[in-house]
Amino acid sequence: MTESLKRSRQSYWRRILGDTLVRWGARLGLIWVGLLALVAVFAPFVATSIPLLVSRKGVISSPVLHYLTPLDAVLLCLFLSVIILWWLPLGPGKKLLILIGIGLVSSIVAIEWVEPPRLIIYEQYRAAEKAGDYDWVLKAPIPWSPTDYLRDFGDTGLEGPLEDDQRAHWFGTEQNGADVLSRMIHASRIALGIGFVATGIAMLLGVIIGGLMGYFSGVVDMIGMRLVEIFEAVPTLFLLLTFVAFFGRSLYIMMVIIGITSWPGYARYVRAEFLRLRQQDFVQAAVASGLPLTSILFRHMLPNGMGPVLVAASFGVASAILAEATLSFLGLGLVGDPSWGEMLNQAVQSSSFNWWMAAFPGGAIFLTVFAYNLIGEALRDAIDPYLGKAG
Amino acid sequence: MLLSVEDLRTYLRSDQRLVKAVDGVSFTIEPGKTFCLVGESGSGKSITALSIIDLLPSGICEHPSGAILLQTLKGERHNLMTLDESTMEEIRGARISMIFQEPMTSLNPVFTIGEQILEALYIHYPEFNDEEAWQRALQVLRDVQLPDPETRIHAYPHQMSGGQRQRVMIAMAMVCEPDLLIADEPTTALDVTVQKEILKLMKDLQQRTGMGILFITHDFGVVAQIADQVGVMKEGRLVEVGEVQQIIRRPEHPYTQSLIAALPENLSRPVVEMQEDGAELPASREPLIKLEQLQIHFPVRKGLLRRQVDSVRAVDGIDLEIPRGQILAVVGESGCGKTTLGRGILRLIEPTGGRVLFDNTDITRLSSAKMRSYRRNMQVIFQDPLSSLNPRLSIEAILTEPMKVHGIGSSQEERIERAADLLRQVQLDEVTLWRYPHEFSGGQRQRICIARALSLEPSFIVCDEITSALDVSVQAEILQMLLELRDRRNLTLLFITHNIGVVEYISDVTAVMYQGRIIEHGKTEQVINQPKNSYTQELISAVPRIPRLD
Repeated sequence: MTESLKRSRQSYWRRILGDTLVRWGARLGLIWVGLLALVAVFAPFVATSIPLLVSRKGVISSPVLHYLTPLDAVLLCLFLSVIILWWLPLGPGKKLLILIGIGLVSSIVAIEWVEPPRLIIYEQYRAAEKAGDYDWVLKAPIPWSPTDYLRDFGDTGLEGPLEDDQRAHWFGTEQNGADVLSRMIHASRIALGIGFVATGIAMLLGVIIGGLMGYFSGVVDMIGMRLVEIFEAVPTLFLLLTFVAFFGRSLYIMMVIIGITSWPGYARYVRAEFLRLRQQDFVQAAVASGLPLTSILFRHMLPNGMGPVLVAASFGVASAILAEATLSFLGLGLVGDPSWGEMLNQAVQSSSFNWWMAAFPGGAIFLTVFAYNLIGEALRDAIDPYLGKAG
Repeated sequence: MLLSVEDLRTYLRSDQRLVKAVDGVSFTIEPGKTFCLVGESGSGKSITALSIIDLLPSGICEHPSGAILLQTLKGERHNLMTLDESTMEEIRGARISMIFQEPMTSLNPVFTIGEQILEALYIHYPEFNDEEAWQRALQVLRDVQLPDPETRIHAYPHQMSGGQRQRVMIAMAMVCEPDLLIADEPTTALDVTVQKEILKLMKDLQQRTGMGILFITHDFGVVAQIADQVGVMKEGRLVEVGEVQQIIRRPEHPYTQSLIAALPENLSRPVVEMQEDGAELPASREPLIKLEQLQIHFPVRKGLLRRQVDSVRAVDGIDLEIPRGQILAVVGESGCGKTTLGRGILRLIEPTGGRVLFDNTDITRLSSAKMRSYRRNMQVIFQDPLSSLNPRLSIEAILTEPMKVHGIGSSQEERIERAADLLRQVQLDEVTLWRYPHEFSGGQRQRICIARALSLEPSFIVCDEITSALDVSVQAEILQMLLELRDRRNLTLLFITHNIGVVEYISDVTAVMYQGRIIEHGKTEQVINQPKNSYTQELISAVPRIPRLD
């Protein structure tokens, strides 16, 4: 088979991916998001006060493994399977199914078996190291945990970047003395997670409801559109505030609420696309060939109508991150875990302006939202056949 | 001499490629004469016209050589290639006007037609006062024979029919009394009866004002009616120029000969194997499809509660029988309900009344699950080959998915083998399987659509204007192929078209539709040559024809 034929055998999505990656904006955006994802998965190894490897009297052990939470374990497991699946010659649908299966199994196993100690005394390893208990110690690149308040260093508190000669805090510390960079690294999980999960829920609901509205039109469309209007009238932020007040602060509730209040946008897009596609001859031909409804909807119509939805989704991820940041900034975010919005909140609470507390988390939010917008923009251009390269 | 084009070259730049759209074209137009540019799509006819009136975006086009000399009737001489933009603006619209193909989109929907005509007048004749301009606009609408111009001048474009809009377009072009009128396929989007009137109108106006017309078309029938001189274009070059009678009767260039030979009128039917049972319809044979009082009405809903106030009777009680192995042509003008009829038979649009019998089974009330097994026997091919293939799927997926659903072929390998065989039958290479629809030309796509329709081994196919979007040479190939396939597979075809030449070539029996009803039905030769119904007579007589080649 000749080279040109091979190229033409590429699947549609691979072609779109290629077209997207040609654009510089998308590359930069993907690099940033990829970096965040990498850091988020390996956060317990990148930023922790617990040594990665120690050698005590010739016996090598890894204390950090004892402290892994079930979530850490699941994330690592999923990350590894993504990398392995990427190289396996399977269809994208199968790969997704396998991934979901691995995710479920690993979460059950992790919740059952992985039990980190309740109490973590970060100081014990530094003390042991000072006392010369270890032959050698391999520390994390950022040797501070997000909740390590440096009690063994006395009354620390707010410090600017690299202010102290003994301890290297690249981005400074917050008022309790915890390392800002470490907190930001651990917070990137929330930023990524809320974006993907909330948008995923919204997209799933939107595609299903919008698709049915567009395909069947008539009464289904009328009921669906009223439902869309009802949900569009719900103000997301105030609903979030209410739920936080009633049910406490939970990341998962937040994801679900952002998800189920933002599906109408996707539903509108999908509906409009399906109404247009319904009249297209190739859909009529599929009906005339007697293809089953699922094939007509999901194989013939959906891929042709996904363009605007994907673009909207990449902007939706950005707005979900902003919603969480807003909530945390208002002091209604998560309690235990750090988040970028909550760190911004800390920056304004202190009496003096501590620029490092505002600039770094704020910059991270800006860069992430910007990266998603860049990706969305490039996707839109790649999907538009009229802008695409000829031939 | 009114216009003389000498060695015109127009190169278009897209990305890194240079397309020689017009490559050394020379011709002259005399005052009061019509010069026709004929050619297939992509031959550079429209680009030539746009180059003359300088409407091409300057960013992507360049003219490496050429001179366009215009000598107005008042005696001024201009070389349009070297004119500056402001002088060109004075000439454009006043000395040279243009009318376009699509009357639906070439009028601005938010202005009345009066406002649009007056705008051109005020620009080119600033000395006119309101009353004079108004009278001139009314006069020009009278000239184009728009009925009741005094009230129509206040109408918006959407309130008029396609033919009336094209008249308004001509009025706008004529209001400044141009010396040269460029008409780019002005009748292609119109019905034949309207086309006939518009062509006659253009001839009349030309005789009165003595203007020259550059008429662009792909239809040799139209050429035979309107042209004085003809230029045949191919790939940016004029391959033959001459008097209309010479070109049509004794074409010299092989390309012109092939074009004229490809007209459906000149095609020879391969073998006429229909039994010769005189003037009788072959009614003795078992009908495969039988329609009984088929009705398809679309409700018109109004008001807050969406109450049904009226209905559009697209198909209004049709009785029809199509015997096995026969090709029935349904002809009619746009909006007569022929497409709705085709889709109604396949239940792509649900009939609102009457029955469709397929092989003596009433399929009108079948549930969609039961209907699915009948779908295998009834296929459809659409007009627009662009939109009838899913752009996201490879040809292999398009052809094998229906087979899989209907259990044809035991393994994917076998289905792929069958698909490759189908592609060979429609004269395409089997490597086509692994490509995507956007890699093909219109004719190739239409072949793929035929292959898809054949993939389920149907006994009945609805062909909905399948050749209208194609060039004549491609059309000829497709029609010949269809006839061959019909013979080999004993197919029954419902062939929907507005092209009488195609009907004559392909069909055994013809039904003429008008406003949702069939008004004449009979053997094709009979309907075409001795139409009984007055509407059919009018329709047939309006078809532009060229004299038969010997």
